[in-house]
Amino acid sequence: MEESKAYIETGILELYVLGQLNAREQLEVEAMAIKFPEVSKEINAIEIAMEQYALSHAIEPTAGLEKQIFEEITATPVDQPPVAPTDNIVPLYPDNSSSTIRTLRFALVACIALLVISAAALYSAHTKLNLANQQIASLSTDREKFAATVSYIKDENKDLQEIAAISSDPTWTPVKLAGTKISPQANMMVYWHKKGQHVMVDNTKMALPENDASHQYQLWAMVNGKPVDLGVFDAQTQPKKLLLAMKEVGNAQAFAVTLEKRGGSVNPTMEKMVALGAVSI
Amino acid sequence: MYSGALLGVISRIVQQPEVAEDLLQETFIKIWNSADSYDSSKGRLFTWMINVARNMAIDKLRSKDFRNANKNQDIENNVDFIDSQKKITFNADTLGLRDMVTALKPEFNDVLNMVYFKGYTHVEAAEELNLPLGTVKTRIRMAIMELRKHFN
Repeated sequence: MEESKAYIETGILELYVLGQLNAREQLEVEAMAIKFPEVSKEINAIEIAMEQYALSHAIEPTAGLEKQIFEEITATPVDQPPVAPTDNIVPLYPDNSSSTIRTLRFALVACIALLVISAAALYSAHTKLNLANQQIASLSTDREKFAATVSYIKDENKDLQEIAAISSDPTWTPVKLAGTKISPQANMMVYWHKKGQHVMVDNTKMALPENDASHQYQLWAMVNGKPVDLGVFDAQTQPKKLLLAMKEVGNAQAFAVTLEKRGGSVNPTMEKMVALGAVSI
Repeated sequence: MYSGALLGVISRIVQQPEVAEDLLQETFIKIWNSADSYDSSKGRLFTWMINVARNMAIDKLRSKDFRNANKNQDIENNVDFIDSQKKITFNADTLGLRDMVTALKPEFNDVLNMVYFKGYTHVEAAEELNLPLGTVKTRIRMAIMELRKHFN
C-alpha cells in the first residue's frame, strides 16, 4: 500500500500518460499497474483528466473532413496488413546466412570452373602423352633398325677389311675358280692360307646361279687326286656375310664346287660341278 | 467527438490549419491500420489515440520537408507566423475554461501545455524553462491534479 502510494507520488504516472517515458520505464509502469490496483486506478484517472482537457481544447474540423476521413478509411482494405510487426524485430545476432550462401554459391561456381579447366588440361596432357609415347615407340624402332644396320655395316666393313688384308697378304693364296661346261658363266674366288690351313669363300667375287631351297653348293679340295669336303654354302644376291670360313685343309692342288642336295654329300656329284680352279704355286 | 480533440492537439503543435487537417486524416488512417497494436490493458483507447496524434504531429514538425516549407513563408504572413509560434492559440469556445485553468498557478500550467500541446518532451521543457527535471515533473503532476479536481 505504502509502496504504491509512494510510486504514484513520484509523478511517473503522469509522464506515462503523456507518453514521455522510454520503453523500459513504460514496461516498469505497466508491471506496477498489474501489481497494484491503486496504480492502475490512478493512471485511469489521469487519462480521463487529460482527455477532458483535450476535449475542452477541441477544434472542430472543417465541415466534410470527417466524412472524407471516414471514406478514406473504409476505402482502405480492412485486411491490409498494418505495419508488419516483424519490421521492429532486429535480430540479436546478425543473420549472415544469405551472404554466406551467396559466397558459397560463388565458391561452387569457381570450383566447377576449375574442375572443367582441370579436366580439359588433363585431357590435353593425356593426348600429348599418347603422342609422345607413340613417337618414343617409333623412335626406338628406328633406333633398333639403325643399330641393326650399323652392326651389319660394321660386320661388312670388317669382312671387307679382311678381304683387303687377305688379298694383300702373300701368305694367303687366292684361287680363282672358273665355270665348267654346264655353267660357263660361273666363277668365284677362294682364299687359302696354306700354313694356317684356312679356307675362305669371298662372296663379293662370286658369280654362281642362285641355288634353290633343296640344294646347296658344296666346296671340295682336290688333295692328291681325291675330293675332300670343305663344307656347303649358298649363293645369294644379298649375302649375309661377305667372307665365309670353310673347313680347314692343309694341302690342296685344286678347288671345285658342285651343286648338291641341301646339307651336302659325302662324295661329289661330278656331273654337277659348276666351278673349278687349280692352285697356282 | 474524438476528431475535434485530436485536431486540437495537432493544431497546437503544427499551427497551419491545412497541415493539421491533413495530419488528422493521416492520424485516423494510422489508428485504423494499427488498431491491432492497441492494448486495452495498458490504457484507455482515447489516450492512445491522442498519443498517436501527438507523435504524428511531432514527427511532422521535425520532418525535413515541413521545416523547409516553413522557411518559405510569405513575407506578408510573417507577423501572424511569428505570433503563432510565440504563443499557444486557444479556441474561442474554450475561453472560459482557459480562464479557469490559468486561474491555477500559471507556471504549473505552462509546463503541462508545453508537453501536451506543443510537442516538447519533459526534458526539453526543463531545458527551455531552465528548471530542474524534478521541478518539471512536480509541476506536471500538480497541474494534472488541478485538472482532475476541476473535471471531477
